[in-house]
Amino acid sequence: MRLKRYRAAGMAQAMAQVRAELGADALILATQRLGNGVEVTAALEPDEAPLTPLVSADPKLVAALDFHGVPALLRGELQRGDLATTLAGAFGFAALPLEERPLLIAGPPGTGKTLTVARLATRLVMSGIKPLVITADGKRAGATEQLAAFTKLLGISLVVACHPVTVGRALTRREPDTPVLIDCPGCDAYDPAQVEELSALASTANAAIVLVLAAGLDPAEAVDVARIYASAGARLLIATKLDLARRLGSILAAAGTGLALAEAGIGPGAADGLLPITPAWLAARLLSGVS
Amino acid sequence: MTHGQTIAIASGKGGVGKTWFAITLAHALTRLGRRAMLFDADLGLANVDIQLGLTPRLDLATVISGKATLADATLHCADGGFDIVAGRSGSGLLSAIDPATLERTLAALQIAAARYDVVLLDLGAGLERAVRRMSAWANRLLVLATEEPTSLTDAYAVLKLYAADRPDGKARIVVNQASTRTAGERTFATLERACQTFLGRAPALAGIIRRDERVGDAIRRQTLLLSRHPNAPAAVDIEAIARSL
Repeated sequence: MRLKRYRAAGMAQAMAQVRAELGADALILATQRLGNGVEVTAALEPDEAPLTPLVSADPKLVAALDFHGVPALLRGELQRGDLATTLAGAFGFAALPLEERPLLIAGPPGTGKTLTVARLATRLVMSGIKPLVITADGKRAGATEQLAAFTKLLGISLVVACHPVTVGRALTRREPDTPVLIDCPGCDAYDPAQVEELSALASTANAAIVLVLAAGLDPAEAVDVARIYASAGARLLIATKLDLARRLGSILAAAGTGLALAEAGIGPGAADGLLPITPAWLAARLLSGVS
Repeated sequence: MTHGQTIAIASGKGGVGKTWFAITLAHALTRLGRRAMLFDADLGLANVDIQLGLTPRLDLATVISGKATLADATLHCADGGFDIVAGRSGSGLLSAIDPATLERTLAALQIAAARYDVVLLDLGAGLERAVRRMSAWANRLLVLATEEPTSLTDAYAVLKLYAADRPDGKARIVVNQASTRTAGERTFATLERACQTFLGRAPALAGIIRRDERVGDAIRRQTLLLSRHPNAPAAVDIEAIARSL
């Protein structure tokens, strides 16, 4: 509101001043005789968008974000209202592009990449699609055997490729439209040589890098790792071990770097242990189990 | 007045006598037999303790930083007979309080309020988020204004935000430093008309406090007006407001 007082000898002059300065929409708030003249108080309210009410943060939501250790930078946004809605606005949520490109299931050692590949393969086979499964993890003892146990059970073949060239060869030989899952060796984000190797494999295979990150990590650490993977080309995130850790701050922190949330590992089962993440599911998960 | 009432005192503009009003109202309520607490919520330039001549060991800053509980930081003003939680002047840390910390502090204040009949929140000048939140949080809002155009404009801005944040809320106006009662009524009528026309709802009048040089005298001496000059016009006016709450 713009408020101004006008003084003049008579009412007509005062009103003329008001109209001249504030226009025809001015509201006369008060008039008063002053000695040998008048004083007029007039106001104008500029047209503007209605004020957005200040939403008070729901204490239960504040407690939940506290519990999960959600970084301060994300909290303001997430406290604005209904959590499923604010999550949908703050983060990307995406399905895995299985039909478009090979998926490179990557991440630091021990995050559950191999089990994730097995679960995705199981889901495809159960819906009648036979994927091509490649393991690029020839280094780790027993890695091939672990995956082979699954592919054998599913009745699909497993390609063991210790070199990007072998991966490329397997890809050119596959049937058209066959989804491809590539299990990567664990990649230490802080070793540039290993990150470079991952990038090279992704470009040879023309694959989408999917970061597999286990819940329960320190959120700041998760941000660092996610940023490095994003700079190597990762756009998608699979959160694992949600059944083994209760705090999801690290997952939100990692997603906050721009990686779209795709799947969540929520239990030991091969067939039902992995779930596509939706804002509503994530909101429910964040709000439940807070102690 | 019901038990555990929280009343926020705002003005938008600084320098209209808000802290003095809050202290004197707490004193007046105490003299009416109510258990009162004054919470210095001026997060940038707190000075309730200075006006009362107190030197608190703990204050709101220690509470917010988690080093003390609200109960630890509550001190008794022996002269006035009411409790206070001091703020901390010049602490930029407090004006930048994050929403979650503010909510936790308000939750603690809500619990503390149960031990009093009334808790007064002396809000800072300006319209920062924290001021806006505390205005909307309290059970009632008193908006202090003087006849100056700047004060009227800023009081209107407080009322406009309050209308958005608390569509159910009923704000009341206190006109301070009125040259006469009639002049004070005119000031209120001006604000009332602006609110009715632009916001579609008008605040009620809580009271008019006449300009009184004994107020400045009491503040300079760091004493309470109702103790030093109990029959001063401003003292009589503020007691009338206390009775009307």
